[in-house]
Amino acid sequence: MGYEQLTSQNPLHALSMGEERNQLGLVMARAGLGKTALLVQIALNAILRGEKVLHVTIGETIDKTRLWYDDILKVIIEEQKFDNANELMEMVSKNRMIMTFNESAFNRPKLEERVNDLILQDIFKPNCLVIDGFDFVNTERQVLEDIKDFAENMSLQAWFSAISHRNDDRFSPTGVPAPCHEIDDMFDTIILLKPEPDATILLEIIRNNGEAVETGKGLRLDPTTMMVKKL
Amino acid sequence: MKKDLSKVRNIGISAHIDSGKTTLTERVLFYTQRIHAIHEVRGKDGVGATMDSMELEKERGITIQSAATYCSWKDHDINIIDTPGHVDFTIEVERALRVLDGAVLILCSVGGVQSQSITVNRQMTRYKVPRIAFINKCDRTGANPFRVTGQLRDKLALNAIMLQLPIGLEIDMEGVIDLVTMKAVYFDGDQGEDIRIEEIPANLKDEAEEKREELLDAVSMFSDDLMEAMLEEEAIPEEMIHDAVRKGTLSLELTPVLIGSAYKNKGVQLLLDAVNGYLPCPTDVENIALDLNNDEKEIAVSNDADDKMVSLAFKLEDGRYGQLTYIRTYQGTVRKGDTMINSRTGKKVKIGRLVRMHADEMEEIESAGSGDIIALFGIDCASGDTFCNDGLNWSMSSMHVPAPVISLAINPVDNKAMVNMSKALNRFTKEDPTFKTYVDHETNETIISGMGELHLEVYIERMKREYQAEVEVGAPQVAYRETILQKAAFDYTHKKQTGGSGQFGRVAGYLEPIEDIDYEFVDNIVGGVIPREFISSCDKGFKKSLAKGTLTGSPITGIRAVISDGSFHAVDSSDIAFQMASVGGFKQGYAKANPVIMEPIMKVEVEGPSEFQGAVMGSLNQRRGVIIGTFEEGNYTVIEAELPLSEMFGYSTTLRSLTQGKAEFTMEFSSYKQVPKSISEDLIKAFEEQKKDS
Repeated sequence: MGYEQLTSQNPLHALSMGEERNQLGLVMARAGLGKTALLVQIALNAILRGEKVLHVTIGETIDKTRLWYDDILKVIIEEQKFDNANELMEMVSKNRMIMTFNESAFNRPKLEERVNDLILQDIFKPNCLVIDGFDFVNTERQVLEDIKDFAENMSLQAWFSAISHRNDDRFSPTGVPAPCHEIDDMFDTIILLKPEPDATILLEIIRNNGEAVETGKGLRLDPTTMMVKKL
Repeated sequence: MKKDLSKVRNIGISAHIDSGKTTLTERVLFYTQRIHAIHEVRGKDGVGATMDSMELEKERGITIQSAATYCSWKDHDINIIDTPGHVDFTIEVERALRVLDGAVLILCSVGGVQSQSITVNRQMTRYKVPRIAFINKCDRTGANPFRVTGQLRDKLALNAIMLQLPIGLEIDMEGVIDLVTMKAVYFDGDQGEDIRIEEIPANLKDEAEEKREELLDAVSMFSDDLMEAMLEEEAIPEEMIHDAVRKGTLSLELTPVLIGSAYKNKGVQLLLDAVNGYLPCPTDVENIALDLNNDEKEIAVSNDADDKMVSLAFKLEDGRYGQLTYIRTYQGTVRKGDTMINSRTGKKVKIGRLVRMHADEMEEIESAGSGDIIALFGIDCASGDTFCNDGLNWSMSSMHVPAPVISLAINPVDNKAMVNMSKALNRFTKEDPTFKTYVDHETNETIISGMGELHLEVYIERMKREYQAEVEVGAPQVAYRETILQKAAFDYTHKKQTGGSGQFGRVAGYLEPIEDIDYEFVDNIVGGVIPREFISSCDKGFKKSLAKGTLTGSPITGIRAVISDGSFHAVDSSDIAFQMASVGGFKQGYAKANPVIMEPIMKVEVEGPSEFQGAVMGSLNQRRGVIIGTFEEGNYTVIEAELPLSEMFGYSTTLRSLTQGKAEFTMEFSSYKQVPKSISEDLIKAFEEQKKDS
């Protein structure tokens, strides 16, 4: 429907995403650097390629999550001078479902039950799962493996976000900070957001599709629009 | 004598239906000695609560119209606007919010934050109304004010802080602990009018200390003095805490939570103290007017009683003594005998009688200063009008008025009913800008339209009761619209030669879609190919065409009509000829411009136990709904979706049977969207058949 224009220009292409199923991705950063913005762009990129995204937010409201999408879509429409804004917005809202959970209410069986419900009743069949606000600090490796299992069974691509803390200097050998330093082997793609002196935010790609890569593919977040840019 | 504005409170009481708002108001009026006996909403004495002034409300036990009531508590003047609790009447709620300075949000300690509270809270946030929360019905089985406070934080994103602790809950509720004074408060006497203050019971001491710490932590952000005192571990004066709470409340960053049970007469007086103590007075809030003489420039009103007068009519009521207009004064003084100007119509009006309202009784006054809410007699105006004097031409910022989305036909049963019906409709449309009425010239039926099924039902009931107008009611109709998707040219000649003077006019140009505006007319005629005097005839012709689209007979919106060419005849051209030519041209262009039908889409929120989530989602999906998201907390879920209004008829019954009556839903208008092809074809077919029949 003419969205190639939007996807082909997306700098996220460098991540060679969406080409393989069952990949587990992780976006890490300290608070306030743009994890959600990046996750939403990854989700939108998937939607524009014709996939259906289930966006799970833990500890935030539906409205807030929706606003993230609306804001980023607006920037895309403006930057790309896309004509049919209303149609695009509608297409996105039809191919995205937001599921928000109170911190204590989220667990794998519940998620699985909900997703099965959606699929069985033919309401929504996601191919991509985004989980924002997952609590890595208080989670055992087993729980995450459970979710990974679930994503594989459903042939879902899944993306997580995690907050790292300034005063926690534990790292994995590959450079993944706490709290994910002991489970970094589970992820196929890991992106670290780092603030640069010029106020932009660098996407340090620690691992891409299972391969460890050299850092610095030159992707950054523009601090005003929070959009991924290639510099 | 100039009134001390710092001792005036204009507050609203907003809540979910059935959380005891009217009962609470009744208690407030009793304790402030405005009334001398308490009547229950569904009382056996048959008098009904004082605030529910309309018969219908008395019968149904719900509050439909907001009445303004005046009372005074500890030398503060309080004007209370009672607001309705159902989402179909949100225009009433929103209007009331506009003239309020602060509000009390009432919640049921069992039901907690329900969908309506969410809507009301959203509206309060929109109008920046500082609020305090009162958790009512703590005497009920299952009462849990702590859980409700948690919900205020989670669901409404309010920084809710409890100022009180209950002494016992449910049937054992005896009183409350005031965490500021650290005293236990009991309410004695038959109607809780005797307040007894004692030491905190030993078994609650620790909990009270702990909660007080939480309270201090939360409010210390708003007061440096308090923060310092806490760091120094000094004794903290009560005044300091009150000031910090007030600061936090006014900046909308803090929501103090009080608890009690209005029905059991517990906690109401403390709530009144909190209204005086924490809610803003008129000068604490900035209100903006638009200067109509100066390009609608925004101006803050002065609140000074000696200034030029500006006031807003926010509610009309048809009383026994003629039209009663409720106004809020923003600056200056309204005096009996003065004249003022309605800035919408430019008409001068003389102020006859000035009264202060107490539900159904009133008290005559001579003048009312800035910040006051009073009522006037014999003023002809619509609600939302601004009055000024001394050469000011301001308008209080316009209120957001949604377009009606549903309509139905009504037919009076006899002649008497017909006369009464038109009287009633005339009144309702003046009172409520979301309620509209017109006569369909083809079917000769009177059509009423509004914001939802219940909205219209209530007006039909009121017609019957207050105006003795029996009407037959047709099936509700969705307010469809038509619009075009592409640009299309037209070139049409209207020619008629039937003896005598003929008619001639030719109009050419194009139609194109525009966003956000209903209709725009552009005149690109050069060289006088259409004479000046007939340009407005073309505009008229287009406007006429917009009233009824060719697909379903619905109004057409979102069109720009541009004329760029034409021709005329020196004798035969006339106003009517060019109107006819434009109607013809429009028809020609419209057919080519890819016309489509638009339908109202509602934002629907269903909330209920999580076990029914799947079933509810399925039911929404079946009704062409797009599910936006779900929110899950424990075993309770909210589903947000967008659905066409046409699919929502009878949904309450479906939902009830799906969820054993445990889920409820609210909806509000969201936007107009194009109808899917298959349904659009059905609509067109139905319209054609209907045309054939008539």
